[in-house]
Amino acid sequence: MNPIVLTYIVYLIISIALTIWVAQTLFKNGRIFLIDVFHGNDALADSVNHLLVVGFYLINFGYISLALKLGYQVADTREAIEALSSKIGVVLLVLGGMHFGNLYIFSRMRRRAVLPDAPPPVTPDGCTFVREG
Amino acid sequence: MLTLTVLYDARCDLCCRIRAWLQSQPKYVELAFLPAGTDAARRRFPHLNHQATLTELTLVSSRGEVYRGAKAWLMCLWALREYRAWSLRLASPELMPLARRLIARVSSQRFKLGHYRWLLRRET
Repeated sequence: MNPIVLTYIVYLIISIALTIWVAQTLFKNGRIFLIDVFHGNDALADSVNHLLVVGFYLINFGYISLALKLGYQVADTREAIEALSSKIGVVLLVLGGMHFGNLYIFSRMRRRAVLPDAPPPVTPDGCTFVREG
Repeated sequence: MLTLTVLYDARCDLCCRIRAWLQSQPKYVELAFLPAGTDAARRRFPHLNHQATLTELTLVSSRGEVYRGAKAWLMCLWALREYRAWSLRLASPELMPLARRLIARVSSQRFKLGHYRWLLRRET
């Protein structure tokens, strides 16, 4: 098999496996967050979780597919591994960025969800008698 | 149910506009308004220093807790759905001094600021 085709195939296998792993981590651990955000509404949490993961897959697979092309020929195994390493490195950084982006979305949603129960931000200056009516 | 009573300066145009704005906002906590220094305010809070309520914004909760100046402003924001996050942020030790200075500046200039009608247009 042509070494460049082999490099592409290895690149696709590793990138897709990494994406699936990160997405599954997000799916499993994000659920707990979302259930808390939606005050125990499991169905809504699962639905939002699923939608987020679908978006995550689409963006990552889109990037992996766009970044597939190698602009030069690889002559031997060493060059193939080097090319693979730089491609996978960028995929990992994109995955990391997306993952932190998702964490940010989760924490923002949680922050908003706890607002109705937030105690007053400041302590009173004193106390006074209040006449009813 | 907690209610926060705002004692505002009814002589100042800006204060009346802010009051109208506060009334129009969606809330977590009910806000009631009483013009500061009036008989109604004295009847409701007989032991409060009413002279002081004419110089700085004062807010009294239905439990009798009194908040003055910057703290009273932050409590107003805390009552609003859209601005509670801001009140918590501004009350942090890093931002509180800035909020205090800004509010003191606006308070002292409130009669002058009332002339700039575009500053806070009354919402209809």
